[in-house]
Amino acid sequence: MSKSANLQNSLMLAPLIGATDSLVTALGVWLMFIVVISAFGAGMAALRSRLIPASRLLAGILLAATLTSCAELAAQVWSLQWHQHSGFYAGLIALQCVVLEYTGFFQSAWRERLRLCVLFGALMVGLGLLRELLGDEGVRLATLAPGGFILLGLLIAAWQAWPRPTPSH
Amino acid sequence: MSRTSSAVILLLLASLGIGVTWLVQYSSAPRIAAEQRRIDSRNLLDLLPSDSYDNQPLEQPLHLDNTALTNSTLLGGYLATKAGQPGAVLLRSQTIGYAGAIDLLIAIDAHGKLLGVKSLKQSETPGLGARIAEWPNAWLQGFTGRSLNEPADNGWALKKDQGQFDQIAGATITSRAVINAIHDALRYFDEHSRQLIGSSPHE
Repeated sequence: MSKSANLQNSLMLAPLIGATDSLVTALGVWLMFIVVISAFGAGMAALRSRLIPASRLLAGILLAATLTSCAELAAQVWSLQWHQHSGFYAGLIALQCVVLEYTGFFQSAWRERLRLCVLFGALMVGLGLLRELLGDEGVRLATLAPGGFILLGLLIAAWQAWPRPTPSH
Repeated sequence: MSRTSSAVILLLLASLGIGVTWLVQYSSAPRIAAEQRRIDSRNLLDLLPSDSYDNQPLEQPLHLDNTALTNSTLLGGYLATKAGQPGAVLLRSQTIGYAGAIDLLIAIDAHGKLLGVKSLKQSETPGLGARIAEWPNAWLQGFTGRSLNEPADNGWALKKDQGQFDQIAGATITSRAVINAIHDALRYFDEHSRQLIGSSPHE
């Protein structure tokens, strides 16, 4: 695993823990992630060939900030309560756009891109569902951030222990 | 693909980005503000039975003087009326708990009786003092129906301090701060009722 992939994955950890205390929050952040990332990818595809490499980062930041701000405002109009619950994690999508651009995510094969989005979505929704169910059962720790870390750790451990014919790495 | 054309594109992108964001913000701000008011009033007014008032209390802020009380500070007040008659006063009070400021909303009826108390903001220890934020809250409900004279002054304290009230387990400082703030608010209402509701509760 390369260094830039590490950066990309560790940035995903923030919403994965912070925005999964309920299923609705997790689902909303993921949907917003997909919408913003798609629009950002399309925008950068049109801009990339017209810019010298040095100005691509600045263009990426401008585009990511615009798209995320608009998406945040749209989310507030749509459901202010959801927006207040999701906190600043929706805003972090802008940073994710810039990092994904930097790691060359948008130039990779569409299968790779789809894989990452689906994996991120499955983890968000899975963790959100698990934490909400446990929270309803009275396990209050599950709805707090430390509980999120513990559950994610358990999920990863289960994934590692799963017998597979060819290990992924 | 030159330096100049890149700079022009960046400039265009920046102005387009600012313009679009401003336009979206401008067109959505009124709706967001209205929704925020709705959420606020829902959060604040669930202290009062919904049939006990027919005005918009949050649009009727009270003018409060001398808001620095013995153990707390009043941040604001609202008047709930029904058919033009004052039904309840909501006082927003801030006191210092164990870890920081605690904001309380204290509802008092026209006769000086407590209708309810809820915490709006707190940063107490999770699992101990932070249980003040739970809603509905059995401990805070224990104050409903009390008034300045029920119990008398020395009863307005924790049992540990020879008073009448239980405390939240493991959160003496938080409990003490909240009791003192409620007592302060009742005393303030008693001393300023003519100004707050236009009559005295003793009449």
